[in-house]
Amino acid sequence: MNGRNEENLKKLLEKLLNSEDAEQFERDVLEGEQILREYSAPEPDKQLIANIKADIARAILRKKTRRTYYEAAVAAAAVILLAIVGVKLFKQNATKPERFVAASIIPAAVWESEGLAADDENIAALTAEIEEVESEILAVKSGENGGNGLTDLEKLEMELVEINSSFWEG
Amino acid sequence: MAESDHLAQIVNGCKKGDAGSFSQLVDMYAKRCYGYFYRLTGSRNVSDDLLGELFVKLVEKISSYKGGCFESWLFTVASNVFHDHLREKQRQERLLNAEKRQIESKATEAKQYINERIDKLQEQLGRLDADTRKLIILRFYSQVSFKEIAAMRLEPIGTTLSKLHRGLKKLRQLMEQ
Repeated sequence: MNGRNEENLKKLLEKLLNSEDAEQFERDVLEGEQILREYSAPEPDKQLIANIKADIARAILRKKTRRTYYEAAVAAAAVILLAIVGVKLFKQNATKPERFVAASIIPAAVWESEGLAADDENIAALTAEIEEVESEILAVKSGENGGNGLTDLEKLEMELVEINSSFWEG
Repeated sequence: MAESDHLAQIVNGCKKGDAGSFSQLVDMYAKRCYGYFYRLTGSRNVSDDLLGELFVKLVEKISSYKGGCFESWLFTVASNVFHDHLREKQRQERLLNAEKRQIESKATEAKQYINERIDKLQEQLGRLDADTRKLIILRFYSQVSFKEIAAMRLEPIGTTLSKLHRGLKKLRQLMEQ
């Protein structure tokens, strides 16, 4: 702290003025300030001080309440943000790469049939055909065969429908 | 415990929002700040309001005190409170002139303000120019060094010293008349 009690006025003045002027200057300042000491200003009354202290207590409470609201708002914002991020991540996981589902084209009759030997033969033939179609579809999708992707895909779908219906017909 | 350590402890308490520490701060500085406001305004009523405003403002502002001379910081805030009051008074006076009838009660209040009994020192301080008067009052009530006052007023220390010297000399002459 640098209060005036720690200040050496004479030393300060001597830096700016010659020693005689510095002395006169210091005297003038001290005499001038003596007048202010003689005519002291009124003091605040006790009731005013008590009121101020009560006002301060209210202001502190307001500040703390405001801070609590602010912290709650920050926490709520963080929760909302986490929820949004969580939902986005969940959605990303939900849209996994497409898988070719072959099971749906196997007729229920195969599962319910009693003739296992005959069924096995049919299933083996069907599985082989499906695998072939699957690899063709993948090739078309990746554009490996160099053809018109859409038309080839349609042809393959037709082929698949045909296999499916011929299987039904036995 | 040294005085400055004690003050630092109180200020830290205030920063943590401790009402007891603020209460101690009020006990320590209310008298000086009240004298400062009274000598600037010449009115007890206004000084009452400004003192309350200052300490409530400190609750919000205390976190901006980053060390150094506390009195210097405190009286800078007090000076801002006084200047806000001056601006508000000027605004009210403008309103008063424009709408005299509507705010008759405020005019009466202003009249009371002028008619308050003032001492000889207050009268003679009023004869000094505003800047010198503020400087003399700041130096006396803040009790901070010339170096700090010069920094607060953003002027060289030599300017502060010579203004104060001239002002106090003139005040003495006026008081002797």
